[in-house]
Amino acid sequence: MQNKLPLYIFLSLIVLILLAVTSLYMGVYEFEKHSFLEIFVALWNDDNSIPASDKFVLVNLRLPRIVMAILVGSALAVSGTCLQGMFKNPLASPDLIGITMGASLFAAISIVLGSYIKPYIPEFFHFSMLSIAAFIGALLTMTMVYRISTTNGKTNVIVMLLSGVAITAMAGATTGFLIYLSKEEQLRDLTFWNLGSLGGASWTKNGILAVIILFAFSILITKGKALNAMMLGERDAQHLGIPVEKIKKRIVVLTALMVGTCVAFSGTIGFVGLIVPYILRLLFKSNYHIILPMSAIFGSILLLSADTISRTIAAPSEIPIGILTAFMGAPIFIVILIRSKKSL
Amino acid sequence: MLKACKISYSHKKISILENIDVTINYGELLVIVGPNGAGKSTLLSMLANEMAHTNEPILFKKKTFEDWDQKELPLHKAKFSQQNIADIPLTVMDVVLMGRYPYFNSIPHQSDVDAALKSMAETDVVALKSRDYNTLSGGERQRVHLARVLTQLENDVENKLVFMDEPLNNLDVLHQHRILHTVKNFSERGNTAVVVLHDLNLAAQFADSIVLMQKGKIISHDKPEHVFTKEIISKVYNFPCTICLNPVNQNPLIIFGT
Repeated sequence: MQNKLPLYIFLSLIVLILLAVTSLYMGVYEFEKHSFLEIFVALWNDDNSIPASDKFVLVNLRLPRIVMAILVGSALAVSGTCLQGMFKNPLASPDLIGITMGASLFAAISIVLGSYIKPYIPEFFHFSMLSIAAFIGALLTMTMVYRISTTNGKTNVIVMLLSGVAITAMAGATTGFLIYLSKEEQLRDLTFWNLGSLGGASWTKNGILAVIILFAFSILITKGKALNAMMLGERDAQHLGIPVEKIKKRIVVLTALMVGTCVAFSGTIGFVGLIVPYILRLLFKSNYHIILPMSAIFGSILLLSADTISRTIAAPSEIPIGILTAFMGAPIFIVILIRSKKSL
Repeated sequence: MLKACKISYSHKKISILENIDVTINYGELLVIVGPNGAGKSTLLSMLANEMAHTNEPILFKKKTFEDWDQKELPLHKAKFSQQNIADIPLTVMDVVLMGRYPYFNSIPHQSDVDAALKSMAETDVVALKSRDYNTLSGGERQRVHLARVLTQLENDVENKLVFMDEPLNNLDVLHQHRILHTVKNFSERGNTAVVVLHDLNLAAQFADSIVLMQKGKIISHDKPEHVFTKEIISKVYNFPCTICLNPVNQNPLIIFGT
């Protein structure tokens, strides 16, 4: 089965590309007269044969949004898979253990406080500030949850989930307080955070996301063997030459970085890190060597489908994407709970 | 091979090991025995470099573990631990192949698969190859992990070292003997094995030397016939016993309760 990994990756990449092309065509605005090829050629040659509105919708609205769905979905799914490997439990996902809320709390703080200095700094730094704040929030909550729930490399799942509940409550209360304090413009931003949406996609954001994700993936995606070995227990993994402590630190920092950046740009999109590994486990067992790289692609597929549905199902308005992922994720959460009832 | 001086360990102010000195030679099968709570597993963990300690360093092939190249070390030593029967949602083959992780990067070579199959044959789990690990019984799981540990040391390195913490738990008589024969074979090829056992008669039959522990101290470290005497054993285990010669193989035979 391990030898077929390149084939699986190839096939799912084809699915993703087909989906992305389909998604380009879907939406309120209709590209009636010209095919995408023609629009791209016109853009390349910089001629005026194509209406400006076509160009604008394609290049500045639809394409960045699709790219962002691919990036965010991928990052969230890989974060979830890595965390599940580290906590050795299929319930560990960024949102259930409170990391997403921790990140969005810090993002909210930086929106409300940052609005005072926002006019004086360029757009790029503004986004960076937001993602750095969200990263710090994610890192703090993850370290806290891990410290609380894990002793001697063994995680108490109930404590892990409950500390997630506690952090979510704490962050929820603080965000509520911030909403109460904030001005109208900030209020819109904050609501956007809590529901999650890819509507704010732009090429600047995609650029930052892409750099961070490429960096994190280059380190994490090859750690499948290590995560497999950690199922034996951390000491036994160490005897197999796996540098357990080093890998755990990397997972903590890099998933915090990815979750933080995703939250900063697209708000709290829940359950992606839970759904994707769950489906992959059904297909490939828990072999992280396979499900880690596959979750990078399946995460993109899931979020891109969800986002395409969210902006077409109730056109011309769109429903928040968090609602869709929660509809998929919550039943899966319950199924995993029922299955692992004995071992909890 | 392995030299440790003045090992002490305490947990929450309760002393578990006190000033233990051990030297283990090349080609030796050393068995650690002792009543419950004697510190056998803790000593094994210490020797296998699982726990941080502040005492004098443990020397493995004249080098401290810190001086070893961490990629090289797994080819020289392996450890079988008492399993707390964690669920591993993989096939048996996948679990055994983990023992070959130090040898391949992403896809196992044919030599790795062969090595895994060879060790699986030794612990009699080849037939379970494509079963789900989670559907196995306790004894079968034990044998799968033994195969994994054995396959980790399946290489051309000379003088390897294996630690085994109660490898015979849950095993039937046939497999108990098979495993010990495999370990004995391993040590006769110039390798070293350090094994914690509960069955004194099996220890007497297979061990080159015995470490008898009680309350965190080594009471006796010697050949089986010197350690297994009526006085020492009945005193350490606090239970009357008789020791005679096993009529078949001339090893000490310990009969308790008489």
